[in-house]
Amino acid sequence: MNVALWAGVLVIGGVGSVARFMVDRAVARRASGAFPIGTLTVNISGALLLGLVTGLTLSHGVALLAGTALLGAYTTFSTWMLETQRLAEERRTWPAVLNIVLSLVLGLAAAATGHWIAGLL
Amino acid sequence: MTGHLKLTAYLGERQRSGSAFVAEAMLDLFTERSVASSIMLRGVTGFGSRHVLRTDESLSLSEDPPITIAALDTDDVIGAVADDVAALLPRGLITVERVRLLGGPEAVAPDAGAVRVSIALGRNRRIGTTPGFAAVCDLLYRHRFAGATALLGVDGTVGGQRRRAHFFSRNLDVPLVIIAIGTAEQARAALPELLAMTIHPMVTAERIVVCKRDGVLLQRPPAVPAIDSHGRPLWQKLMIHTSESTQHDGQPIHRAIVGQLRQHRAAMGATVLRGVWGFHGDQAPHGDRFVQWGRQVPVTTTIIDTPENIARSFDLVDDLTAEHGLVTCETVPALLALGGPQARGGLELAVYP
Repeated sequence: MNVALWAGVLVIGGVGSVARFMVDRAVARRASGAFPIGTLTVNISGALLLGLVTGLTLSHGVALLAGTALLGAYTTFSTWMLETQRLAEERRTWPAVLNIVLSLVLGLAAAATGHWIAGLL
Repeated sequence: MTGHLKLTAYLGERQRSGSAFVAEAMLDLFTERSVASSIMLRGVTGFGSRHVLRTDESLSLSEDPPITIAALDTDDVIGAVADDVAALLPRGLITVERVRLLGGPEAVAPDAGAVRVSIALGRNRRIGTTPGFAAVCDLLYRHRFAGATALLGVDGTVGGQRRRAHFFSRNLDVPLVIIAIGTAEQARAALPELLAMTIHPMVTAERIVVCKRDGVLLQRPPAVPAIDSHGRPLWQKLMIHTSESTQHDGQPIHRAIVGQLRQHRAAMGATVLRGVWGFHGDQAPHGDRFVQWGRQVPVTTTIIDTPENIARSFDLVDDLTAEHGLVTCETVPALLALGGPQARGGLELAVYP
């Protein structure tokens, strides 16, 4: 670990969270349904990319920047939980359950797919 | 005797005017002009003339919620400040309505018919150990008002003094407003007790028509001409009081209303405000409980448009409030819509019977 790498994590982490905000907002505005599709899009695409990143044999530094910094900041567990709780608080049980189940199933599939694509490269 | 006016602005919270937020600049303006009463309310969901949805369902979208800012003072003060408010606002809606201030030396109780009584007080003012807003709701409930909703302000002026909510503060006098629906007789009966309260509420009344109560249609929005005798446009406002937990087709009624209005392009906008306390229908006054299944607080949806669009919007609202909801309608004598496909209306008050 050196200062440049720490600085890289800071900057690239910031880029990841801004990307999340932009993607989430763009998707959510277009969909505008009850279901928090923006966060789902972010988490699934993040899982796919993280599967890909970990599947590629990258150096420690690059893996840290791409995986932990970029995709760690891009994906979000807390927002997933918060939006599920918001659905539950309006007694929208099915969308809330679907949000948990769909995120898990698609997330696992996306990570596995990313890994598989990395194997082909 | 001078009358009183209420100016209301509906806008997006993140809009800027130069280097400052528009909402902030508006409150600064009200402070500078010592406006007697003003309040900024942060909404839950809504849309404007560009039909872009604002909602707290998604974290990213909740960053720019719809807000409602209302200011109340004499004809002269509001008349003078209205053009300056319009100049600050790049995009949004401004309305000016006539209100009666109850309880001053020139108190005029409304004569007959349905009224909306608005009661402004400090959000953390108490009577003994009871929060002021709960005491007011109990009083209104005892007088058999059809409903009441307490809305928490985040900023405002009280007697010309700025009262802004802060994270680390008692926020004693940050304004809160209770909007209650009842009859003129009920308002007259409740007024002496309200004014005797030690929390010094500011009480105003507006004439309305109750269209629906508990899902039962009483009256459609009255037919109003598109323009008055001087050619000034007339507008109408629908307010729908429902509960956070009442649903239509698996969706809370207020979300369904916003969704349908947007989908059918029935109205140029809508704003939903969530209350902290209140009642309507058979329920006793209540708020959220610590352990509960879904939130129980009242919500208020406001739609303002031309009489023609209000008639169309009412058809949608009527279907969605088949079992629940208190729906009221009133005439709005001045509306200015800014930044939409075209600027519409003006700030000069129309005359209507």
